Amino acid sequence: MSGDDSVIVINNLTKKYGNFTALDDLSLTVDRGHILGFIGPNGAGKTTTIRILVGLARPTEGTASIAGADCVKDARKIKRLVGYMPDRFGSYDNMRVREYLDFFGAAFGIKRADRKKRIEVVLDITGSTYMQDRYVETLSHGMQQRLGIARTLLHDPDVLILDEPANGLDPEARVEMRDILLRLADSGKTLIVTSHILPELSRICNRVAIITNGKLRAFGTLSDIMQKLSRQRTIEVQLASPEGVESASKTIHGFVEADANVTASQAESTVRFRSSKSEEELGELLKQLVTAGIAVTQFRELQTDLEEAFLTVTREDRESQKAKTESQQPVATGPENSSAGGMS
Amino acid sequence: MNNPIIEREFVGLLRTRRALIVQLSLAAVFALIVLLRWPTDARVELSGAQARQVFHLFGYAMLATLILLVPVFPSTAIVREKNKGTLALLLNSPLGPAAIYFGKLLGLLGFVCLLLVLSFPAAVACYAMGGISLLEDIGSLYAMLALVSLQYATLGLWISSYAKSTDSALRVTYGVALAISVITVVPHLFFQGQEGNLADYAEMMRCVSPFPALMEVMGHSDLSSQGLITAGGVAARFTAIAIVSIFFFIIATISRLDHSIFDRPKDSGQVTDERGAGQRTVRRVVFLVDPQRRKQGIGPLTNPVMIKEFRTRRFGRSHWMLRLVAFCALTSLGLTYVTVTGTMAWGIDTIGGIMVILQSALIVLLTPSLAAGLISAERESGGWQLLQATPLTAGTIVRGKLMSVCWTVLLLLCATLPGYLVIVYIQPAMTHQILQVLACLLWTAAFAILLSASVSSLFDKTAPATTTSYAIIIGLCIGTLLFWLGRGNPFGRPTVEAALLLNPVAAALNVIEAPGFAEYELVPGNWWFMGCVSAICIAVLFARTWQLTRPR
Repeated sequence: MSGDDSVIVINNLTKKYGNFTALDDLSLTVDRGHILGFIGPNGAGKTTTIRILVGLARPTEGTASIAGADCVKDARKIKRLVGYMPDRFGSYDNMRVREYLDFFGAAFGIKRADRKKRIEVVLDITGSTYMQDRYVETLSHGMQQRLGIARTLLHDPDVLILDEPANGLDPEARVEMRDILLRLADSGKTLIVTSHILPELSRICNRVAIITNGKLRAFGTLSDIMQKLSRQRTIEVQLASPEGVESASKTIHGFVEADANVTASQAESTVRFRSSKSEEELGELLKQLVTAGIAVTQFRELQTDLEEAFLTVTREDRESQKAKTESQQPVATGPENSSAGGMS
Repeated sequence: MNNPIIEREFVGLLRTRRALIVQLSLAAVFALIVLLRWPTDARVELSGAQARQVFHLFGYAMLATLILLVPVFPSTAIVREKNKGTLALLLNSPLGPAAIYFGKLLGLLGFVCLLLVLSFPAAVACYAMGGISLLEDIGSLYAMLALVSLQYATLGLWISSYAKSTDSALRVTYGVALAISVITVVPHLFFQGQEGNLADYAEMMRCVSPFPALMEVMGHSDLSSQGLITAGGVAARFTAIAIVSIFFFIIATISRLDHSIFDRPKDSGQVTDERGAGQRTVRRVVFLVDPQRRKQGIGPLTNPVMIKEFRTRRFGRSHWMLRLVAFCALTSLGLTYVTVTGTMAWGIDTIGGIMVILQSALIVLLTPSLAAGLISAERESGGWQLLQATPLTAGTIVRGKLMSVCWTVLLLLCATLPGYLVIVYIQPAMTHQILQVLACLLWTAAFAILLSASVSSLFDKTAPATTTSYAIIIGLCIGTLLFWLGRGNPFGRPTVEAALLLNPVAAALNVIEAPGFAEYELVPGNWWFMGCVSAICIAVLFARTWQLTRPR
């Protein structure tokens, strides 16, 4: 699975806490200079994966390596290779921004003269020079996130692992954060970024990994994933007036697959449905609608984005979990059955 | 009386693990006191002397327990709500500041009442032994305990309304509570039987403490009275002071419960380097080491964790250290000056005793506040995860953290050395004795640091770590003195000596031959005890920190 240029290589990673499986046979690779968007619902296993990568957790099975260093055996080397920004900022009271960076620089063993220069550089990269004398605890959330990135850059690591860097940021700060991450990728850093703000992530990631219940559900470029998920397309039928919505909905229901999801909106005069029918078959549906006297003003395919892809994957996962649970439930045996059996 | 906060506070408290532990331990301790002193002879003493002995012990134990326990809950009540954001929600509700305040106070007092109720079986057992009046003895005792509880609860809430974090609220509350109850009595111990303004002030000061008042209520002579007759009416004066202070605390806290509690500007972070030359010079003279000066980077041979600890501690910055050291040095020299000039008719042993008490109080008050958050505060703030992601080893982290506390405590102890030097100069024969006292103080400091740090490594929040550290250290340093107070009756010499062997402060007082402590043999037994406990603590600290730095 790993190529020559792969910086991060994860093979069959499994993490169990007692009977609970937090990560189940996860395998993926990330190439140098790429940004991996690591997405999944809460509790999917993203943070567990990250904690294994940075050496804060031990896998139950499988291996993970960064730039050839094993995340378990070479834990000390990993700390120099990786810049890690957890989802919690981790501030210290009564400490100025410059002192905060100075402490972490010293903790990474950077010499005093080099550290001073390095602090200037990371403050400049993250656009934080103006707040160098402010106390850390008085910074706004956006400022703290920038400082968090500055801290991860101090020892000039090859790989940056950022857990929810855009969490809680206002739109302007989010755009700034996006620019910072793109600049870092341009400078040759490899990034793993988790986020719930999927439109933001789709703008910066070269690769996307979708994880649910500890399992990797989709991995690849955004277009690859879209293509895989596009076996079913979302079609929107725009009508001239709300009166035709009900009859259009009936016609579509009769045409598409029995389990297809058809949503009608009187307010918007639209009917949306997901189907894997071919172009010709959809043309036939349009013809049926027009023949039935329904005034169709638009008949178009909606573009699938990362959010849609994510929702599709999580929905499928939920349905398969539900089916699995139902199949595992024992057949109910009522007391009357037992007594009947006893009587016979 | 339809105040939802009362129920939430009371029920919320009862749901906590610490409340359960407090209740169970209290019930066990009181049951044990009565069991230990219950008459086993077939003959019953008609005078009721033994019943009174048990009752006295029970009363002092109750007071000490309340002073140790009551501040824990109110001191965190407001600051926790403020930091979690729920105080803003409450202030935004139709409940007024008074309703919020009394809701909290009554909820907390409900819990205190529960603690008092838990002690009823022990009180009833004392009563059953005879010789004790239900109204005069038991009634007065509980009235006094209720008043003290109310005073300390309102004090805790008042401090909580100013605090920035739960652990700082706890530290300040414990500091003030101990200052009120113990330190206010100390001047009277040395001035009793004398005349003059200082003696009058000392006499007034002791009325602030609940201990002399309780002693009077229970018909005991004054604290370490040495046979002197002291002025009566202490209980009445204490009651008046307590009531006035309760009203003050209530009004002051309610007035804090409005928008102003959140309405604080953020520090702009201006550094001295960017001020004018004149201002820079003035600040240099005033501070000596200006805290607002832009700092140099951490040096190559310095442990970065130690420097971080100094910088993040409110009183860790150099200018505060200088002030503390200067204060300690001046106090120490002032005391010896008084002896040398013969202003007071105090002997060297009395002055030595005062110095030992002051230094021990400093160690007992300061050390848990410095060391109990070493690991737990890091875990609470999320900083531990960041430290784990650095190449720092567990050993480097522990060393840096311990050194930051050791330097501070050592500096304060050194600041009091001039006083001892003067004593040695006056009486060279005391050199060996003074060296032994210093050894005792060093053991006290090492024990307090290592115990608090190891407790800190066992908790993931600073507030319970601070409470536990204070409870253990105060229990050993002040709790065991309860046995000394009851020397002669009900405790015999072996019991008192065994209890004092656990107390490093008593060992220091024994070495300096302070009045009341000279007759025991506490050294080197106490040093062995301190050494063993410190060794266990350091092993726990290193093992636990190593465990915390490992991947899980």
